[in-house]
Amino acid sequence: MIKRLVHFFGESGKSVLRWRLFMASLAAIVIADFLVNRDHGEFFWDFLPGWAAGYGFLSCAAIVFVSKFFGHQGGIMRDEDYYD
Amino acid sequence: MTDWVHPALVFVVGALVLPLLKGRLLQVWLLVIPAAAVAAVAAMTPGEFGGFEFLGVRLLIGKVDKLSLVFAWVFTIMAFIGCVYSLHVRGPAQHVAAFLYIGSALGVVFAGDWFTLLVSWEIMAFASAYLIFASRQAPAVRAGMRYLMVHITGGVLLFGGIVLHGMETGSYLFGPLENTGGLAYSLILISFILNAAVPPLNAWLTDAYPEATVTGAVFLSAFTTKTAVYVLIRAYPGTEILIWLGAAMALYGVIYAVLENDCRRLLAYHIVSQVGYMVVGVGIGTEMALNGTASHAFAHIFYKGLLFMGAGAVIHMTGRRKLTELGGLYRTMPWTVALYMIGAFAISAFPFFSGFVTKSMVIAAAAGDNRAAVVLMLTVASSGTFLHTGLKLPYYMFFAKDCGLRPKEPPINMLLAMGVAAVLCIGIGLWPGVLYDLLPYPVDYAPYTGAHITGSLSILMFTALGFFLFLRSLDPERTISLDTDWLYRKAARWFMWFAEKPVARWEGMVSGLSDTVIWRSLNAAARGSLSSDRDIVDAFVNGVARTALAWGASARRMQTGVVTHYAGAMIGGVLASIALYVLLRSG
Amino acid sequence: MDIDFSIRPVLAIAVSLLAAGAIWGFRRQADLRDSISLVASVAKFLIVISMAPTILAGGTFQITLFTILPGVDFAFRVDALGMVFATISSLLWMAAAVYSIGYMRSQKERAQTRFFVCFAISLSAAVGGAFAANLFTLVIFYEVLSLITYPLVYHKETEESWTGGRRYMVYLMGASKTFLLAALALTYQFAGTLDFKAAGLFNDAGLSNGLLIVIYLCYLAGFAKSAIMPFHAWLPAAMVAPTPVSALLHAVAVVKMGVFCVLRLIFDVMGVRLMDELDLGIATAYLVSFTIITASIYALTRDDLKARLAYSTVSQLSYIILGAALLSPTSIIGGVAHMPAHALSKITLFFCAGSIFCASRRKNISDMAGIGRRLPWTMAAFFVGSLGMIGIPPSGGFISKWYLVVGSVQAQEMFFLVVLLVSAVLNAAYFLPVSYTAFFEKERDDPAMEVAAGDIREIPLITIPLVATALLSLAMGIYPNYFLSLARGVVP
Repeated sequence: MIKRLVHFFGESGKSVLRWRLFMASLAAIVIADFLVNRDHGEFFWDFLPGWAAGYGFLSCAAIVFVSKFFGHQGGIMRDEDYYD
Repeated sequence: MTDWVHPALVFVVGALVLPLLKGRLLQVWLLVIPAAAVAAVAAMTPGEFGGFEFLGVRLLIGKVDKLSLVFAWVFTIMAFIGCVYSLHVRGPAQHVAAFLYIGSALGVVFAGDWFTLLVSWEIMAFASAYLIFASRQAPAVRAGMRYLMVHITGGVLLFGGIVLHGMETGSYLFGPLENTGGLAYSLILISFILNAAVPPLNAWLTDAYPEATVTGAVFLSAFTTKTAVYVLIRAYPGTEILIWLGAAMALYGVIYAVLENDCRRLLAYHIVSQVGYMVVGVGIGTEMALNGTASHAFAHIFYKGLLFMGAGAVIHMTGRRKLTELGGLYRTMPWTVALYMIGAFAISAFPFFSGFVTKSMVIAAAAGDNRAAVVLMLTVASSGTFLHTGLKLPYYMFFAKDCGLRPKEPPINMLLAMGVAAVLCIGIGLWPGVLYDLLPYPVDYAPYTGAHITGSLSILMFTALGFFLFLRSLDPERTISLDTDWLYRKAARWFMWFAEKPVARWEGMVSGLSDTVIWRSLNAAARGSLSSDRDIVDAFVNGVARTALAWGASARRMQTGVVTHYAGAMIGGVLASIALYVLLRSG
Repeated sequence: MDIDFSIRPVLAIAVSLLAAGAIWGFRRQADLRDSISLVASVAKFLIVISMAPTILAGGTFQITLFTILPGVDFAFRVDALGMVFATISSLLWMAAAVYSIGYMRSQKERAQTRFFVCFAISLSAAVGGAFAANLFTLVIFYEVLSLITYPLVYHKETEESWTGGRRYMVYLMGASKTFLLAALALTYQFAGTLDFKAAGLFNDAGLSNGLLIVIYLCYLAGFAKSAIMPFHAWLPAAMVAPTPVSALLHAVAVVKMGVFCVLRLIFDVMGVRLMDELDLGIATAYLVSFTIITASIYALTRDDLKARLAYSTVSQLSYIILGAALLSPTSIIGGVAHMPAHALSKITLFFCAGSIFCASRRKNISDMAGIGRRLPWTMAAFFVGSLGMIGIPPSGGFISKWYLVVGSVQAQEMFFLVVLLVSAVLNAAYFLPVSYTAFFEKERDDPAMEVAAGDIREIPLITIPLVATALLSLAMGIYPNYFLSLARGVVP
């Protein structure tokens, strides 16, 4: 059973189905985000539905591009045998 | 009071007996010892045990309260899991090292005084270093030496700090430290954050953990950093600077992880990131924050262990560790993939997994303390965590391109160990109350609110969206990243140049003085001053030579010329001293 | 104060002199001859240790043999400091005796009789110095020790040995003849006595500060056996000697004689109060700090294991002097406690170097890759010895380091705290590579090596003593009370 589940995620044939499920789940989460109870909150964004979705996506983008910037332009990434 | 067993003692005894065992008996012992330690922890009641005097200092080896108990629970349970995982390792050495490592970590956890803490701290460094050396490859040996040197330096700073603290306050009892502006406060703080791998003192971890043995890394991931977190909770709760160090740390780890190609180094950078959350919690210092730190540490040990076990299983079965060389393994290792992913979901704080009820407590504590920037930074780090451990690593290791290998599932003991950890990861997520009851302060936090669930899922799933959209940018590259270890790796070369050139030249000159200056002047003095007494000297020399012969040394080797000059110098010295004496006496 | 007039100090010295005679007498029967050393060492240790209870209770043993000049006798007085030195010398002679037998036989060395005779007499000289009641007696035994160890240094009689022996004698005798005799003469002239006095013997002499400082410096330079830079070069030169010599004499007896003399100088010739007034304590501390650090840095560059150990010894001896020079009670305890701590660990390390050499003819650390598999006991003992040098619990070195560090804080001298901590890290940097090279690097099959890797194995008579001393160094870490009590007895 585990094998079937894992294979589902691996097989190239199922990729369209996987995308569709993924998109559906994203939509479901955003909708749910609008429906939940927002009485308690510390900061302004705690009262904004959809904030987490946008923040998550932007965080991901920021991380990827800032890191690659430091790595390549910032000179952190070097050849594998740099120290040897 | 008398029926309290220090779990460290269980491990030390276990380690001493280990070399005598082989085969099945060894494996049974490997399971019995941690199980006994868990039982010892279960049987404990809070209190103070094991006080005695040594070198005039009052020691306390058993300070049992909720905080030490919660760490003791997770340490001993993880010890059991790690031992199951390493059952297949032949030969006692690594197991002995692991036992001593765990035992000394427990020694720190229960230490009621600084002296016990220091002794345990030093033993931890050596025992854990063994697990790195044990790989025996040249890079591992070098990394192990760097690791050990960093920890010895940290231990030396701790030693200095403890002595200063003891002299300042007159007491060696382990407790919160006040910032009196003295050196002790800073030295101890530096040595603690070194072990916690706070940047810029983090390079030892990311340098050495990927070089450890497959089974050794599992132990390493659990103990050193969490012990450091424990002592930070005890000694520096509410220290403002830790909040910012921790938040920066959380992001630091995440940024480096993007660039990383070695799968275990990626996970090592994640340790840095996760410990960042814990350090933030210590810095905030409120009851909820400290609860959050302790619970996060608890959950982290299991899911990080699970991740290292999964990556270790891949290395064990394929011999490869670089993401550029892996891929497509899902076909033949589905169980490994599944168990790994449970760890990944746990660390990412998916609802119904352990991270959800623990990591978020720290963030909530930060929110409760009105720290907007910290909350935002930690949330970015959460996104990064899922990005790397839940998406990038498994994608490039198990899926994506096919590297051509078809490894089987790892041995059953490794799968079982991962299974136990996975069960705990899910169990804590579903029944957080069990963990919450162990926490030092009463818990006022309800993780399963609608907003929290959708908020977490949003962050995670939209991070995933980003992952798939930016997939090309995330492809691993065959590089290494320079971290702060560059400083001491390069500096070490310059230091050795200094040692070998100027210092050596000085030493050669000083040592050669005897031959260059002194010998020649002695010869000159002997020849000059005693030319008239050569006969007496020669007679004396013959006497010396005869005695020397009688001792078995060949006379020709004595090179009489040399002896003349030398004996002459000696006699000259005696004569000079007598002359001086007579002069002074009469004067 | 219990003063016991007893012949025991003389007995302790005489035992090994008699043994030397007996060794020479039985020189044709190798087994009998060798066992004499063993028996004598046990007897010597028992006599020394029999005096311990009295000393620990605060008493002393005294005896005056004869008088040379008014105020100058040949006399003995056993006190706490002397007991420390005598205990380690006699205790470790037992291990060294076994070790020497194993080493000499394994190497099929020549002139073994001369070796054992000189060895025995050296121990007499060491214990004689330990029990000396005044400067005269002390310096006599000091010089005897230099002379009697000379044949041991040139023992192998190769070109290298003669050169090393020459350098050894020039430094030691040169320093003692120029500086030490001058200092003795000046002391007798101005203080009228050469006896050790608890508060120093210059207090009533009314000397100018300048003269006192000159006298002090003459003594310091004269006692070259303490290996303070730049008078240290004899120590690495002496490494041409066979390892049993390096182990007991140049790690224990000769060098401890040197620092022992400096400690006597500080406590019983100058006196703590005078040292403090003239700032000599702090000046000495800065002087030896240079040795501590420089010798350790240089040790890092040495690939020859014995050379590395020699420079480590130079560095560690100055720890002892530093402890005394800081003049605070705790630092003095630390310095004195470091005498046995260093001796136990260092003798183990030298024994291991000799074991490696006998088993494999290898001297350089870079040739020792993977040797831990062949010589596990030896390399394990080496690791334990290293812990003592770095100061990691549970070794004796940790105990003495603790006292030294606390002592420097007590004396409010942070500079020396830093020196001690930096030195600990340097020690780790040059000792740990030996262990990891031996255990974790791959063995190389080098055809240039005399003994092939596969033929290397432990030699029992050599390995047993080094395991014993390694265990003793750990024992001192767990039960340090004997030496600590004696050390407390030294604090004025």
